[in-house]
Amino acid sequence: MSGILRATGLHAGYGAGDILKGVDAELATGRIVTIIGPNGSGKSTLIKTLAGLLPARQGEIELEGERLNDLSAPKRVRAGIAYVPQEYNVFRNLTVLENLKIAREFMGAGRSRERVLDDEVAGLFPELAAHHKTQAGNLSGGQRQMLAFACALTVRPKVLMLDEPSAGLSPKYMSDVFDKVQRVNAIGVSILLVEQNAREALRISHTCIVLAGGRVRAVAPAGEVLGMKDLNSLYLGDATLH
Amino acid sequence: MLQTTFNGIITGVIMTLPALAVTLLFGVLKFPNFAVGAMMTVAAYMAFALNAQLGWPLLPATAAAAVAMGVLCIGIDSVTFKPLRERGGITLMVASLGLGFILENIARFAYGNSARSFAIELARPFRFADIRMNHEQMITLGVSTAAMILMWLLLTRSPMGRAMRAVADNPSLALVRGIESPRVIRWTWFIAGMLLAVGGVLIGMDRALEPPMGSNYLISVFAAAILGGLGSPLGAFVGALVIGVVSELSTLAVPPNYRIGVPLCAIAVILVFRPQGLFGQPYIRR
Amino acid sequence: MTSYLVLLGILVCFSAILALALNFQWGLGGMVNFGLTGFYALGAYASALFMLKAGANSFFAVVGAMAVVAAVCAVVAFVTLRVTEEDYFAIVTLGVGEMLRLVALNEDWLTKGALGLTGVPRPFGDLIAPQYYQYFLLALALVLLLATLWFLNAVARSPFGRLMRAVREDDVVAATLGKNVLWVRVRIFAIGGGIIGLAGSMHGFYYQYIDPTQFSNIVLAYGFMAVIAGGRGAHGGAIFGAAAVMALLEGSRFLKDLVPALDSDQLAAIRIIIIGVGLILLLIYRPQGFMREYRLKVST
Repeated sequence: MSGILRATGLHAGYGAGDILKGVDAELATGRIVTIIGPNGSGKSTLIKTLAGLLPARQGEIELEGERLNDLSAPKRVRAGIAYVPQEYNVFRNLTVLENLKIAREFMGAGRSRERVLDDEVAGLFPELAAHHKTQAGNLSGGQRQMLAFACALTVRPKVLMLDEPSAGLSPKYMSDVFDKVQRVNAIGVSILLVEQNAREALRISHTCIVLAGGRVRAVAPAGEVLGMKDLNSLYLGDATLH
Repeated sequence: MLQTTFNGIITGVIMTLPALAVTLLFGVLKFPNFAVGAMMTVAAYMAFALNAQLGWPLLPATAAAAVAMGVLCIGIDSVTFKPLRERGGITLMVASLGLGFILENIARFAYGNSARSFAIELARPFRFADIRMNHEQMITLGVSTAAMILMWLLLTRSPMGRAMRAVADNPSLALVRGIESPRVIRWTWFIAGMLLAVGGVLIGMDRALEPPMGSNYLISVFAAAILGGLGSPLGAFVGALVIGVVSELSTLAVPPNYRIGVPLCAIAVILVFRPQGLFGQPYIRR
Repeated sequence: MTSYLVLLGILVCFSAILALALNFQWGLGGMVNFGLTGFYALGAYASALFMLKAGANSFFAVVGAMAVVAAVCAVVAFVTLRVTEEDYFAIVTLGVGEMLRLVALNEDWLTKGALGLTGVPRPFGDLIAPQYYQYFLLALALVLLLATLWFLNAVARSPFGRLMRAVREDDVVAATLGKNVLWVRVRIFAIGGGIIGLAGSMHGFYYQYIDPTQFSNIVLAYGFMAVIAGGRGAHGGAIFGAAAVMALLEGSRFLKDLVPALDSDQLAAIRIIIIGVGLILLLIYRPQGFMREYRLKVST
């Protein structure tokens, strides 16, 4: 089965050294894949590189077989990759409605109208309807997260990448987020998730990628990883998974 | 006192357009551009060339100069600022300073140091409730108001306006929301160029045309933008009016030649108490 | 011809001193001083006034001028740097420079306004015959330049110098180590200010009269161009930069012979345009200047 999104031998970093030291990862079409790993392992860096915010110093990124390396972030979005950053993921000075409008106007520019998810999105995020005129900066943390999520979905992406979507959320919002992730996946969006709340995320995922020290240590079905008592051994690379 | 306040309002109104240009440029490009004064000067002289030398009426001359300046600004950006985009605020500021010198002296080279005026009909000033107003001031009020309304519509109702505000708010998020920054930057320069051109013509009508005309307003315009909050269009509008009125009123107490001290003190005071200005957001340099 | 070269040499010396000051504030201290012209004028007027009105001799006048400019710079830095946004600092210094220029122009009772101050005494002016004075001035200028260079190097090597670099590299870290970052920056700016005051005093000695038109934006442009051409942070570079800028400017003087149709206003304008273009080209193509970086570059 070929993956919809694939990274091969990826190297990337911010300063002198590389944070990603040769990452191979694949997101199978229609699946939810969660990336786990200790702090500093490069999870966020990987997603940012896939999104185009950070240049890949070495290696290839492919979406449905098409090479993405030379495409700028906005172009990648239009090719079908949506990304929700962990923080600062909404335009605080703009209203909820304006945030959504921007997503609609720019993420799908040039693509066929049928990709636009308006009604389905509104259906998934009923809580946003009441707040259309509110400035995004005035929303609660959980509401902002929902808005960020909704914007990424406004023009149906092929791949949705979420960086720690449950970070800092109350348990209610957290389960809401994971519930929505599953429902979005059910309508055909492939999802790549980076999470600290590993267990919660793994429960809804198909596959788990373990990243540590800038390298992939293991790839396994999520259920198998969930069953392990000690995730730390995975990070150190001496687990019995391949 | 009432007359002074009125004059202050006029001065403030003249400054709203350049202050808006400054704030838009800062929001999108993330550095204060010290060439805006000289850009106003060059545009004013372009209008002068069309108006006083070629005989065009001032309105079409201004419109043509505005479009020309908008295009010129796009060109200037791609030659001067684009190569320096990655380098950081200080380099860009110094480059803008150099650019200001170049533009101002191009005007000086072409037209010399003596003051010029637009070719407009002289009309008698009229009185309204103890305040003396002249036609130029009426035109200034009208043109600025129209321009501000247009800008407001642009920024709130059009996709490009929203994109500009989005980039000012969060440039990296804007990228992953599909907004291509080169396009936004071009439009921002085009709009800023037009605003600066109209502002320059208004200054030329209010005072006179001479090479330092734009730079003379540089500090005041920045004070206005900073007071309102760099990056906030509403702030630029309010800030300009406040600075204009306060500057004029201060001439009652302070010798007129030191008028510039007022915006300067304003900047110092704002920086100490509320650096983000009235409507701005503390900008986190990421 | 020798005479011309000597005069040029003198000009290069004080441009170099000015460039060293700017370099100290900007290259080493990270503070952009767009008010350079105003502080330079302040130094020139202060030194001249100390001599003309207070009857001080040239030595005390220079010291006094340096102290005045240093003090003003310290105040400006203190007030502005409470909020350490480099953008705002540039704007404020621009404004302060403007204010100083306006004061020079308008306070007739002090500065004689647009007429300027004439008959500024020179050090040892009475003792040395006029035809030899320019050599003396050149020697003096060189001595002062070398002294400034030596002083700044000493500062850079001192514990204060290490503190400066620590603050410049990462002021948050420096602050957490208990170093008073604001105070360090104020001192840097003040020291630079003092040196600007020195250059300003020399200006008076050279021309022997001071008026507001001498202090136009050309000074600011020269200063920055010299620092950029020389490479920020490298002291030797500032001198090279000053020499290069002078050469460019003096060279452009000959433009007048090539294009007689231009009047003096236009020529002045062209010279500034050339400087501006040079500044931008340098920033784009050669931001590190022309001198090789001599300090150990710590890679981050």
